[in-house]
Amino acid sequence: MNTTLISRFAVLLVLIGLTFTPAPAHAVTSKVSPDNIKINLTYHGATLSVTGENVAGDDLIIRIGNEADDAHYKYMGKAGGLFWMKKGDVSFKNVPGVYLLYSSRELENLLDDAAQTANLIGYKALTEVAEMETPSAELKGDEARWKNEFIRFKEKQNLYAIHTGTVTRQHGQTNDTYQVEVAWPFQAPPGEYTVEAMAVRNGQVVERSRAQFTVERSGVVAKLSDLAFNNAALYGMMAVIIAIIAGFAVGMIFKKGGGAH
Amino acid sequence: MYMYLPIALTSVNWLLVVGLGLGVGLLSGLFGVGGGFLMTPLLMMIGIPPTIAAATDANQIVAASASGTYAHWRLGNVDYKMGIYLLIGGFVGGAFGVQIIKVLRATGGADFLIKMTYVVMLGVVGTFMFFESLNALRKNKNAATVEETKSSAPVEKKKGFFGSLPLQTYFDKSGVTHSALVPVVLGAFVGILAAIMGVGGGFLMVPVMIYMLRMPMHVVVGTSLFQIMFTCIEVTFLQAYSNHTVDFLLALLLLVGSVFGAQVGTILGKKLHGDQLKILLAIIVLAVTAKIVLELVLEPSMMLAMKGGH
Repeated sequence: MNTTLISRFAVLLVLIGLTFTPAPAHAVTSKVSPDNIKINLTYHGATLSVTGENVAGDDLIIRIGNEADDAHYKYMGKAGGLFWMKKGDVSFKNVPGVYLLYSSRELENLLDDAAQTANLIGYKALTEVAEMETPSAELKGDEARWKNEFIRFKEKQNLYAIHTGTVTRQHGQTNDTYQVEVAWPFQAPPGEYTVEAMAVRNGQVVERSRAQFTVERSGVVAKLSDLAFNNAALYGMMAVIIAIIAGFAVGMIFKKGGGAH
Repeated sequence: MYMYLPIALTSVNWLLVVGLGLGVGLLSGLFGVGGGFLMTPLLMMIGIPPTIAAATDANQIVAASASGTYAHWRLGNVDYKMGIYLLIGGFVGGAFGVQIIKVLRATGGADFLIKMTYVVMLGVVGTFMFFESLNALRKNKNAATVEETKSSAPVEKKKGFFGSLPLQTYFDKSGVTHSALVPVVLGAFVGILAAIMGVGGGFLMVPVMIYMLRMPMHVVVGTSLFQIMFTCIEVTFLQAYSNHTVDFLLALLLLVGSVFGAQVGTILGKKLHGDQLKILLAIIVLAVTAKIVLELVLEPSMMLAMKGGH
């Protein structure tokens, strides 16, 4: 009887203790604002703000991108050993269309190569995961070079970028808070994108959280795009007729300005 | 200042695009060329994907050539009869050229043929026009005459083989007599080359009209624009319908500039001599040739390129 009472009392104490003990610092959080980017007529990219909390002292890596897919290109080569031109097809499989990376410190100071590859962090990890396919014999055996060319091409389009030391953190009583400003490139196509915040401690990614945002056409941009793809004949006729009318209309405005050569 | 293009999926400075339209439209009104051989590379330089640059350029050329055709029609500078014969040949040749490219694409030799055709045709046409116009200008200076020059007046000379062909017909506006087969065949030849090169063919058609059909320069410009307008109407519709590569907003920005440019070009052309016009066009054609040759021999900064376009 006494034993039972003591046990029940002990359980009660544990429960009370659990209730009033401060929760352990956990789970990096992430929030992206705005979570919906409208592409209208004056769109020239956007500024995204990624914010959240993390365990005090942890480093952070923020990765922004979309689902991995296949990318198809022409490669440049010399024809007849003299002229540079597009020679053939090359595809890169399992590569994201957009890959923007932000971190609180240099990547090599946060994670070793193996950890970077395992978490798809950095260009080296991307090239290791990517597969190259080409019918051309001259490219085979030189995959590393062409994968690097792919990264360079994406960087030039502003669709791939790595910005180290750009995540700012503020120390709180229990957790830290972090923030990063993202210059979202207008070259990024409409679609669903994911922001992934990773907390790094002792050379390992210990926690992660995700937030999503969408980029979508709106207004005139959406209507014209819809017409071009879903009613192509009408779109083509409209383009031709407006061009003819514009040409003749301006011709009439300049009526008095013309004359023989 | 920025406008987002729904088909090209990129944002451009609209003032820059209107300026490009104005410049190329000016050349169109001056020389009777569509300007595709200049505009498409310029659009690609500001970040427009190649396939969209080529197709949208055709759309804006419809406006520029309509504007120019109207101006030249009012001046009586359009030989409709010749234009229609050339157009018939151009349509047949264009269809044939597209088939040649399809076969070559399948065998992998298309890009090489396209580049070489560009260099050879532009180089030959530009060099020939340059020296021919230079000689004519020198002769004019020596003769110190203000009369119409040889090149800008119709010349009826013994035509040899051309004269022996059937269906001889008089082209009133141009003041020349040719077999109807001549403009049709020449139109077809230009059509084939234009389809291979992916351009309207104005810069090829203009020399053909001047040197082979012996048409007066001013009728050449109006007739060329008339023919280009129809070619580009066909190309715009087919590209929009089959490939969804016409960006109407981009075309609108370009045509705002080009229709005004075409009118200014027509007025400016009035002040220039036929041979002066030809030598200017020759210099532009040679400059474009030099640019293409440099691109061919210098190592590109990017070793990958988007699919499509040339």
